[in-house]
Amino acid sequence: MEKVKDSENTAATRVSTRHAPRVLMPRAPQAQAVLLLVVFVTAWAGQQTIQPPREFKEYPGYEYNNFPVPEDYLDKHEWTRARLKYPSFLNVHGYAADGYNRWTVDYPRSDRHLLAGVRRLTRIDTKSVEQVVDLDGEDDVYNWPVMYAVEVGYWNLPDDQIAQLREYLLRGGFFMCDDFHGTIEWENFMRVMKKVFPERRVVDLDNKDPIFHVLYDLDERFQVPGMQYVVYPPHHMYEYDGFVARWEGIYDDKGRVMVAICHNMDLGDAWENSDDPTYPERFADLAYRIAMNYFIYDLSH
Amino acid sequence: MFEFFFKYPASVFSKGSIVLAGGWPVWLLIVAILAAGAALAYFVRRNAESSVRVKGGRSAVVWVLQTLLAAVLLLLLWHPALSVATLRPQQNIVAVVVDDSSSMAVDDAGSGSRKNAAVNVLNSGLVKQLQERFQVRLYKLSDHLDRLEAYDKGGLDKLTAAGTATHIGDSLKQVLADAASLPIGAVVLLSDGADNSGGIDLETISEVRRQRIPVHTIGFGREKMAHDVELTGVETPARALPDSRLSATVTFHQHGYAGGKAKIFIRDGGKVLAAHDITFKADGVEQTENILYNAGPVGVKAIEVAIDPLPGEENSRNNKMVQMVNVDKRTPRILYMEGEPRWEFKFLRRAVEDDRSIHLVTILRTTQNKIYVQDEHGDAPKNIKDGFPTRVEDLFEFDGLILGSVDAPYFTANQQEMMKQFVDRRGGGLLFLGGREALADGGYARSVLNEVLPVKLPDRKNTFVRDPATAELTAQGRDSLITRIEEDPQKNVERWKKLPYMMNFQDAGQPKPGAVVLVDALPTSVGKFPLLTIQNYGRGRTAVFATAGSWRWQMLQPVADKSHEMFYSQLLRWLVNDTPRRLMVSTPKQMLNDETLVKLRADVRDKAFLAAADATVEAHVLGDGVAETVEMRPDALDAGVYTAEWTIPKSGSYVVEVTAKRGAEDLGRDVLTFRRDDGVAENFHVEQNRELLEKLSSETGGKYYKPEDAKKLGKDINYSEAGITVRETRDLWDMPAIFLFLLMLRSGEWLLRRKWGVI
Repeated sequence: MEKVKDSENTAATRVSTRHAPRVLMPRAPQAQAVLLLVVFVTAWAGQQTIQPPREFKEYPGYEYNNFPVPEDYLDKHEWTRARLKYPSFLNVHGYAADGYNRWTVDYPRSDRHLLAGVRRLTRIDTKSVEQVVDLDGEDDVYNWPVMYAVEVGYWNLPDDQIAQLREYLLRGGFFMCDDFHGTIEWENFMRVMKKVFPERRVVDLDNKDPIFHVLYDLDERFQVPGMQYVVYPPHHMYEYDGFVARWEGIYDDKGRVMVAICHNMDLGDAWENSDDPTYPERFADLAYRIAMNYFIYDLSH
Repeated sequence: MFEFFFKYPASVFSKGSIVLAGGWPVWLLIVAILAAGAALAYFVRRNAESSVRVKGGRSAVVWVLQTLLAAVLLLLLWHPALSVATLRPQQNIVAVVVDDSSSMAVDDAGSGSRKNAAVNVLNSGLVKQLQERFQVRLYKLSDHLDRLEAYDKGGLDKLTAAGTATHIGDSLKQVLADAASLPIGAVVLLSDGADNSGGIDLETISEVRRQRIPVHTIGFGREKMAHDVELTGVETPARALPDSRLSATVTFHQHGYAGGKAKIFIRDGGKVLAAHDITFKADGVEQTENILYNAGPVGVKAIEVAIDPLPGEENSRNNKMVQMVNVDKRTPRILYMEGEPRWEFKFLRRAVEDDRSIHLVTILRTTQNKIYVQDEHGDAPKNIKDGFPTRVEDLFEFDGLILGSVDAPYFTANQQEMMKQFVDRRGGGLLFLGGREALADGGYARSVLNEVLPVKLPDRKNTFVRDPATAELTAQGRDSLITRIEEDPQKNVERWKKLPYMMNFQDAGQPKPGAVVLVDALPTSVGKFPLLTIQNYGRGRTAVFATAGSWRWQMLQPVADKSHEMFYSQLLRWLVNDTPRRLMVSTPKQMLNDETLVKLRADVRDKAFLAAADATVEAHVLGDGVAETVEMRPDALDAGVYTAEWTIPKSGSYVVEVTAKRGAEDLGRDVLTFRRDDGVAENFHVEQNRELLEKLSSETGGKYYKPEDAKKLGKDINYSEAGITVRETRDLWDMPAIFLFLLMLRSGEWLLRRKWGVI
């Protein structure tokens, strides 16, 4: 196991070595020189910068550090859902620091369960693993046009990342966020989102919007609670003052949802715990249906 | 000179045949020559025995010279003569045809206009010369033939050089018609040869030859202008979708401006649509330039292509041409069937959503048993919501079809056959995209659709590869409008090189004969594969775009970059632009320059696009003060095709609406515009077309003359097979050339003997 230093969150991250990414590693200095020469000549001759999408890389999560990587994680497929790795505040609620990376909440168990669901329920040709992406100024994020972020009530995007998120969305990217609750987290989320799109409003998604009908008809939606519903009897549905689930979004100029905001709910927990017998099936079911609709919607609009 | 030595002009020898008029048999001449040769051989040999200096080879030379002398003398005894047909004096007519088109008004003949030069030739003795032996009929020629008053009554005074066109072939036909009842022995044509009816057709030449009437031509005008630029052709599509990018292929040549620079302008009603810099090549060299312009909004456009007059240009009226372009108010529908939710589907839809000239209807397989239909415009057949059409009538409502990653077995055999007929019979466009269930991997090699594909699919699976690949234009791709994402051709090539990579491509096989590869895929791994291949098939067209990864051209480029949108918009417009409707009307020429007859052709089909041979088809023509209905008649050879001809009464623009009905069933309507312009044709090809005049003369047994040589015509014209002729026998024995030859033989022998010291 190799430890690397996270430059932004000063936390340790882990690179999975169980199935090492297929990266050519020259063994001798001569070979290294030849490879460099080939790369240089190819780039010069083609006048194109071939920077294929980054290989799969696993980071340590707050909750999971040994979650099994599927056997086929290196197989090439059309699609996967990206997870945004973002810098976050330690806390926004004014009391003790949490001390972990908010972007890794539910990761990677939630992602792997969800992607298995995508394979089972749709014809999307998906990888079995998620792709962690970074708004780091490089082009890699544009290779992954559907992106998910968890706990965005804590996010703290600097201006350059805000600009890149805007560019990503305007080029055609789709952003889905989830698992943030109550007024304080909403305000922190909006503090960033207003910088991304100062000119656009966040609106409630209408029941008639195709996003709720493209695969499943989801007129009847309800709040999807996190695991606290099971852990803290008697079945807490909400967190903080997030009593009512809000299905909101930001539309682009063509009337398409490009930012899907799932506020006061925890779909991530529902995917994560969908194999847990104690977590109610009806919540997991809606969480999957919502995700399938959003993904199919994105791929068809 | 020829006539001095051989007694008669060369033309007499070319028209006549040599005969022996002595009456003795030819075999006797041969025997006599052989006998003379033998006798001479005997004597030469006997003399050689007694001579020291004339032996061996020398004696043989002497024998040859003496035998030749004897042979020529014997030949003269047999009375060689020339048998030639000549026109009987005062019994034949010579048609003198003078070009009276406006190009004859050009002042480049040295002493005034070409017309004046022609009149001078006739007045300076030629007519008198002809009148001594023939009756002379004067005609003037322009877009038709008119007879003039007799020469003595001032017929030539009626020449004005104001005809709007030069139709030499048609005029000759009228002379031939006169020749059926009159003994026309020859035609004398005085012209600059600047024919603007497309030349003289073979039928007319054959008819002239059949009647054996020699056409003698006298050419006027300079064969090359000193300073002139002339457009020789403009080709641009007659129909287009709104805001289409069109190409005008402009051909031109120039004299006197080699190496110079100019601009070609494309204008619509004074508005400049495009300006293109050119550098002139060598004098007289035909140049071709392709210029892109935007068709603009719906309407009938008179697209003017022009090179602005250059300093010192002698004729600037040939610097512009006009073409009609109908920008149709129609919105072709394209059905896109996609077998799996994927990025290419999303970004293709987005790429063309702003193109108001294309309606994209999509069917997406979201799960194994669900489809998602998107028809934002709501104009697709109603039962499209049930899935891919199962009836021909429904499928043929579309103009184009796209098949994504959907395997062939997803469709029934009937649907596959319908798709084939969609291209072949309906004339639609079919685009295959790459994908894990597309092309060879989708089982299309064993489908009837394999036949319409522009590529020969590999006979294997796993042809879809998820590896990085870049795109590179082929030579054909550099010229294609489909792949033009930058106006400038060179910048376009560079632009393609800088497009982001695709993360997949498909080995679609090699192009079939007749198919064209516009773009190659260059994987970073190995090889080169056709990426975009197109071809015409039946009445329609097909294409393969062997990737599902062009979406990165959108995501990996700034949001302001429109290359992905432009590419797909142009590809889909190509796919459907020429897809015919059930009724299509056309004409060979929408711009009729100094022509009065418009030919209309209507192709009528029923809902299944089968030829409607029993329709009632009418053309309603509207123009300035003109409203007329013309019945179109079925073509005897081509089912479903109806034709009509209509004489345009005056210059101007006309709209023709063609309607077709079968009983109470309305089979459709189509609109076409055309325009007649007068006084245009004569602005072009104003140089003397000597090649045409020489060819006309040589093909008909006549001769081409320069004006200064026209006097010779008086003698040459006597020899003709046409009209009322008499066959004359002209002696040849007294030709000076023969006596010179005999003298040379004798003097040659004498000189040799002297050299050898015998004398």
